[in-house]
Amino acid sequence: PLFAIELLTFYFSAKRTVDLSTHLAKVSAELNLANPPGGAGPAGAFLLALEPGLEPRLAYLGVQVKGEEEEENTLEVRETKVKGKSGKFFTVKLPSPLVPGAKIRVSVEMVFTHVLQPYPTHITQAEKQFVVFEGNHYFYSPYPTKTQTTRVKLASRNIESYTKLGNPSRSEDMLEYGPFKDIPPYSQDTLKVHYENNSPFLTITSMTRVIEVSHWGNIAVEETVDLKHTGAVLKGPFSRYDYQRQPDSGISSVKSFKTILPAAAQDVYYRDEIGNISTSHLLILDDSVEMEIRPRFPLFGGWKTHYIIGYNLPSYEYLYNLGDQYALKMRFVDHVFDEQVTDSLTVKIILPEGAKNIHVDSPYEINRAADELHYTYLDTFGRPVIVAHKNNMVEQHIQDVVVHYTFNKILMLQEPLLVVGAFYILFFTVIIYVRLDFSITKDPAAEARMKVACITEQVLTLVNKRLGLYRHFDEAVNKYKQSRDISTLNSGKKTLETEHKVLTSEIASLQSKLKTEGSDLCDKVSEIQKLDSQVKELVLKSSVEAERLVAGKLKKDTYIENEKLHSNKRQELVTKIDNILDAL
Amino acid sequence: MAEHSGPDSGKHKANHANANSAALLHGRAGAGTGAGGLSGGLSQPAGWQSLLSFTILFLAWLAGFSSRLFAVIRFESIIHEFDPWFNYRSTHHLASHGFYEFLNWFDERAWYPLGRIVGGTVYPGLMVTAGLIHWILNMLNITVHIRDVCVFLAPVFSGLTAISTFLLTRELWNQGAGLLAACFIAIVPGYISRSVAGSFDNEGIAIFALQFTYYLWVKSVKTGSVFWTICCCLSYFYMVSAWGGYVFIINLIPLHVFVLLLMQRYSRRVYIAYSTFYIVGLILSMQIPFVGFQPIRTSEHMAAAGVFALLQAYAFLQYLRDRLTKQEFQTLFFLGVSLAAGIVFLSVIYLTYTGEWYAKIHIPIIASVSEHQPTTWVSFFFDLHILVCTFPAGLWFCIKNINDERVFVALYAISAVYFAGVMVRLMLTLTPVVCMLSAIAFSNVFEHYLGDDMKRENPPVEDSSDEDDKRNPGNLIVTMLMLMLLMMFAVHCTWVTSNAYSSPSVVLASYNHDGTRNILDDFREAYYWLRQNTDEHARVMSWWDYGYQIAGMANRTTLVDNNTWNNSHIALVGKAMSSNETAAYEIMRSLDVDYVLIIFGGVIGYSGDDINKFLWMVRIAEGEHPKDIRESDYFTPQGEFRVDKAGSPTLLNCLMYKMSYYRFGEMQLDFRTPPGFDRTRNAEIGNKDIKFKHLEEAFTSEHWLVRIYKVKKLDNRETLDHKPRVTNIVPKQKTAVLDL
Repeated sequence: PLFAIELLTFYFSAKRTVDLSTHLAKVSAELNLANPPGGAGPAGAFLLALEPGLEPRLAYLGVQVKGEEEEENTLEVRETKVKGKSGKFFTVKLPSPLVPGAKIRVSVEMVFTHVLQPYPTHITQAEKQFVVFEGNHYFYSPYPTKTQTTRVKLASRNIESYTKLGNPSRSEDMLEYGPFKDIPPYSQDTLKVHYENNSPFLTITSMTRVIEVSHWGNIAVEETVDLKHTGAVLKGPFSRYDYQRQPDSGISSVKSFKTILPAAAQDVYYRDEIGNISTSHLLILDDSVEMEIRPRFPLFGGWKTHYIIGYNLPSYEYLYNLGDQYALKMRFVDHVFDEQVTDSLTVKIILPEGAKNIHVDSPYEINRAADELHYTYLDTFGRPVIVAHKNNMVEQHIQDVVVHYTFNKILMLQEPLLVVGAFYILFFTVIIYVRLDFSITKDPAAEARMKVACITEQVLTLVNKRLGLYRHFDEAVNKYKQSRDISTLNSGKKTLETEHKVLTSEIASLQSKLKTEGSDLCDKVSEIQKLDSQVKELVLKSSVEAERLVAGKLKKDTYIENEKLHSNKRQELVTKIDNILDAL
Repeated sequence: MAEHSGPDSGKHKANHANANSAALLHGRAGAGTGAGGLSGGLSQPAGWQSLLSFTILFLAWLAGFSSRLFAVIRFESIIHEFDPWFNYRSTHHLASHGFYEFLNWFDERAWYPLGRIVGGTVYPGLMVTAGLIHWILNMLNITVHIRDVCVFLAPVFSGLTAISTFLLTRELWNQGAGLLAACFIAIVPGYISRSVAGSFDNEGIAIFALQFTYYLWVKSVKTGSVFWTICCCLSYFYMVSAWGGYVFIINLIPLHVFVLLLMQRYSRRVYIAYSTFYIVGLILSMQIPFVGFQPIRTSEHMAAAGVFALLQAYAFLQYLRDRLTKQEFQTLFFLGVSLAAGIVFLSVIYLTYTGEWYAKIHIPIIASVSEHQPTTWVSFFFDLHILVCTFPAGLWFCIKNINDERVFVALYAISAVYFAGVMVRLMLTLTPVVCMLSAIAFSNVFEHYLGDDMKRENPPVEDSSDEDDKRNPGNLIVTMLMLMLLMMFAVHCTWVTSNAYSSPSVVLASYNHDGTRNILDDFREAYYWLRQNTDEHARVMSWWDYGYQIAGMANRTTLVDNNTWNNSHIALVGKAMSSNETAAYEIMRSLDVDYVLIIFGGVIGYSGDDINKFLWMVRIAEGEHPKDIRESDYFTPQGEFRVDKAGSPTLLNCLMYKMSYYRFGEMQLDFRTPPGFDRTRNAEIGNKDIKFKHLEEAFTSEHWLVRIYKVKKLDNRETLDHKPRVTNIVPKQKTAVLDL
């Protein structure tokens, strides 16, 4: 669809700069547009044209207009077709229609990739890299041009050859063609430069960028990069000795480069299929994290490598929400190295499970593939994945893409509940398994044994408790001896009597239970009972003695003697009881 | 039953609480009454005991797991050494192509041009275990990479080993000894050496299978139940699928049965256990493709068959005894038993000394592996520390109170000591039994000295103040000493693990004077270069040590690898390495070699490089090609192996020497030494002017550790031996080239 406005028909002067100092061809042109006086009326747009040979190599095209206050406005560009002409055409919409007789100055920026061809195509380690650029002497335009200049910036002063149309002036690494006057539309004349260019001819042949959004506060980014040195191919041996000893050996090879990560990047990793790549350094700056990436080996012409780089970002910097409406604003592609070229990029954005109504706002045209589902930790129905491709990208494409979606916050609870549920089921199964008897056959003997064991256990505690009573009573007696307060003794005696009674009767009942189970332990318990009654007698005796001692009816020596006798006896009995208990 | 057990166990708990409070009371009052009952009450509760056991086992697992993580923390989650790389590669294949594809996998990237049928030449247990874990985790959407499963498999299994050791020791002695044994095996270096994180090898899971099989065997002998024996067979099957060391089981169990018979300890339980085990175990073990019909064909399995026959005969005699008169029976018995025993005994002796396993030692390839060397005394102490001193005591305790299962452990110990003495590698089978027996010894000592203390408290003490005085100070000292020993053992284990057994060997580290670390990542640098920048089907020749790593990391075809099944192929590679360039080129051409990879340590002083291994190459090559290669040619007349000027000219011009030292003669490492000074061998090299005709340097890693050479294709045509005719006609193409 064209603009619904009149196109410009006449024209202009062009000042063009072709920057060939890197492995890219960056063309910037300053155009003076004019709507000829007496024209058909105000023109709202103008046409831009690309030579037929260069068009598939165009990575980026941007047009800006310089306003009065030097602020720059990016103009809208759309691809279009012109009848009877091959090549690529674009219509550029002007900020305001140009009335006949008016002028405007716009600057056009174009970036072409893979247009510098290494020549010779194969070099040895000691040789320098030369490249050939083939272009057009003229600014290729659909309109007649009044004056034109072309300036070519090279990477070095070492120029093998160049075309000499109009006797260009040459200074250092610069060639200046023109000015050419009154050039008819669609003029072409081959410009060719052959010069030394040792800048890194690195190309990302393919790259996959995965952005995984978690609403728990983290965005994980992982980039899988296939890198290739697309300069002149290394011929013959690679000598490590020369490479280490001679500084200009392998001058066009790439030893390392810098990748700039977002300032908030954390837990950065840099690895490949066989593990961590230990030759890298991380530098944390105020506004970015700079990573010096050194591939495992230096990259010579034709060599390639492959690596994965990943990091985490806090989601509050990139994820915005209003109620259930979320917007993720992230770079579609990020910096890998300066003057980067990406031949093919796949971006995968993994949204949280349950994200709906997904809508993507991209700053430039991208190819959306069908959405996928991704399953990872604690997922049940899968996370939606947005998949997008784009080919032939350069640094200018580092721009934000915005993904809008809705997400019900209740779904945040799903994952914790899943864990809770799983543990609940686990514990419950264990409880059921432990408590229930799953044996196929019943073993009555074992059951009876268990019952007896249970009763004996109870007997044990009761007997121990009963023995404890005596100790309490002993304390009471001791206290009485010191305080001579008969009430303590009496109350102690009372509690002993009552509790003893209760315990004894309980033991007796257990004893009868044991009898019904037919256990021979019953006899032992009755023996305990017997021994216990003796112990009790002794205890009471000693308390009576103590009473008498306090009352003065007994001499201290005899009391002590008696007491010793008693305690020895008691000890004997208690040991007997203990032995029986142990036997139980 | 359900209704009963609920309230009952509730009461249990209440009882414990009572017992506790009573104990507290007792402690405070200091009165001795009722102490016996209380101590009875405390040792009774199964709840406390099992909680304690669970906690101790869990902690043992945790300690074992974490002490195996040194390499992961210092370096990264990476597969170590050589064999693990193959295991990882096959596990990766299993995980990405499925089980049947794995069983039928023909690996065309190994043993070029022969290839290798992987499915039929591996013990698949390890790969299947890791693959299964990976599959289950991924089913649960736990997206763990197969590499991480492989790296952490051995540490996880060390916990299972600890538990099965606990079970086995509990069967042999008691729970306390079991717990000690579990703690020992969790941290003992002899086992850690094979099971650190990243050491993804058969032994990592096999020791668990071994211990568990033994536990189930002891259990079956104790109970005589077919159920336990079948469990034992299944565990044996797992062991067979995991490691060639299953031969140890299939000889030890028959030996146990045989000794039981000799000791007149035959019982129906033994009969049921062994008969079931032999038949079911035999059939199960034959299901592993790699094992196949070996169990009924090869000599190392014959002892089991013999004992099986003997046992049947013995049982038959027992049966006859009930039927025949005493006189008849005695004649029969003596005839039968002595004949059978004699045959079995002789065959066992015969197998032990002439079995294939040991015959292999005399082949240079087997002998060239460091882990096949005899064990030194130092390494016994290094790997087992105090346990090696205490385990005879445990053995003595076992023999003193002998019963069926203690006969087993005694035999286990004696045979394992013998094997460990033969080969360093088999220290691994000794370690578990040493742990168990030491645990028994320690447990006995503790029981004696700590137990006495408790009994001494039992007699009534009227006054609490003199309780301490009455404690025997000797007990305290012994206990403290024992605890000290155990503490030192733990320290030693950690130290050994951290210093000796936690290096991935794929990544090297060196330390600067200020303590910072340099990582030498040359192996991966070179392997990754191969992976990225050579043709996908390029064939790489290297010494067999690096075969698995090249296949795993570089993903390129190799000629020979660590599965040293074809001696003549290895000898051919050895011959190429030890011949001069022209002869080597012919061999390499015939083997379609594209690249040659060697390891050279002369720049950084790495001693495990190919020049140091070179004599083995020569020896192996000489074994197959005695006419072309003679070891004596590589020595100086004085019989020395030297790389400097005095070295033999054959050595100085052989391919390995030239590839190692190509352009090294120009390199001056520091100012004190001349150029071309080899740091590993501390000598200035003898041949500094090395030129290649058929090879060219393709890649050398940063520290020169790995050097890769490209084998040039043949020239287009024969070079002329006379000068071509000179004419004045200028070729026309020249102008065309300039016209650009």
